[in-house]
Amino acid sequence: MAEESGMKSFAKKFVFNAMKAVLKTFVFYGLYLFVWSFLAMFESYVPNLHQMVENFVIIYISLGIFRDLVSDTVFQYFFDVAKAFFVIGYLTLALNSGIINLLYMGITLTIDLRFFLVTAILLSLLGLSRSILQAINYVNKKVESTSLNF
Amino acid sequence: MSSLRNSQPKKHVHNNLTKSDENFTVRRGFMDFSIRMIGVASTVFWILLVAFFASAVYSVKDLHLSLGEPQLTLKANSSITISIPINIENGGYYSLGDFNLTTKVADLNGTKITEGSIFIPTIKRGCELIALHNLTFSIDMLLEKGVYYLFNDSSFTVTALVSVKLAEVIPVKALSNFSVPWGAPFYNFQLGQPTCKPVNQTHVEVVVPISFENHAPVEINGEITIFMCNDEGTLAGQGASTITAPQGTLYIGEFVLYVQISEIGQKGFFEVYFSTQFLSYGPLVIPYG
Repeated sequence: MAEESGMKSFAKKFVFNAMKAVLKTFVFYGLYLFVWSFLAMFESYVPNLHQMVENFVIIYISLGIFRDLVSDTVFQYFFDVAKAFFVIGYLTLALNSGIINLLYMGITLTIDLRFFLVTAILLSLLGLSRSILQAINYVNKKVESTSLNF
Repeated sequence: MSSLRNSQPKKHVHNNLTKSDENFTVRRGFMDFSIRMIGVASTVFWILLVAFFASAVYSVKDLHLSLGEPQLTLKANSSITISIPINIENGGYYSLGDFNLTTKVADLNGTKITEGSIFIPTIKRGCELIALHNLTFSIDMLLEKGVYYLFNDSSFTVTALVSVKLAEVIPVKALSNFSVPWGAPFYNFQLGQPTCKPVNQTHVEVVVPISFENHAPVEINGEITIFMCNDEGTLAGQGASTITAPQGTLYIGEFVLYVQISEIGQKGFFEVYFSTQFLSYGPLVIPYG
């Protein structure tokens, strides 16, 4: 009987998490479409810009979905950490360490995005530290509740 | 009594646990609050960063650069200054910083002929301004580098570098190389076969036909002086002619020289001196006979 109710609550929780993940995905994708509407005009100047941004969004959203599915477990923080590392790594690689060189109609364009990259990395590190703190807090609470049960 | 003694320590322990619990709750609450604040700050900064970056990049579409009609100015120190008006219209959301345009002109061998640059520290948003980009060519320096440009068409390589800071924080550079054709002012300069006509016992009239094409972008006004020498180098006679050759035209004229019969030889050479509004050059030695 207790096992059945446990399964039920787990299923309920899973469905709730899945719905939360879907909702978040829609919001994030909407935000992406909004930002992309500003950047779309540069698609012809920057080769693979759309592909690059879309790949980033897909992986970021996927990590977010997995994170939401395992929320209220310690694994959600693993996904948060993974997300932070992914943002740092992807931006560094995609932005060629902040210096982008393009050739358009015989004109060599050099765009220095190091300021943006450094700020984005710092914010990702802030997110990373937050995830680590959350994980510590979570484990702390877990230990605390276990010791109180004793 | 004994029961009282037994119960007192228990009460004491119970009180201690409550205090510890309270401390735990406060600390946990503080930890939760700190983590939430970090999350809020991170989200706000991410939104600000993405919004700023997207709007700064989007602003580029409202930045217009156009070049006006170049103006040629002649200076007393035999130099030509080409002034190119640059119209800059910043209709974006942010100011532009450190606008710099550098132009380098080189010949086909890559030797620098001239360089010019213009720097504008800040272009405010909604601002429209016209800046003059000056390129100064020294004719003497050009002649030093080679008489070639006086008589032969060629082309120059122009390297233009534009750099600007979008929203005063995102540096962008654009580099372009292009060729500019050079038209020689005395292209295909030739002296024709001289013809002699006796004037008196001692002198003859020598008529020397002259022709060239003015490929330069401006009209050539000036004087050409010609000296006729025999094969020993002795001056036999001289003549001068005023020339007016509009841009892109074939000039045909002639010199009339009065030469001493005793000094004239079957062979010799002409020394030609050019004097125009831009330059003075000579002698150009052309043999005859």
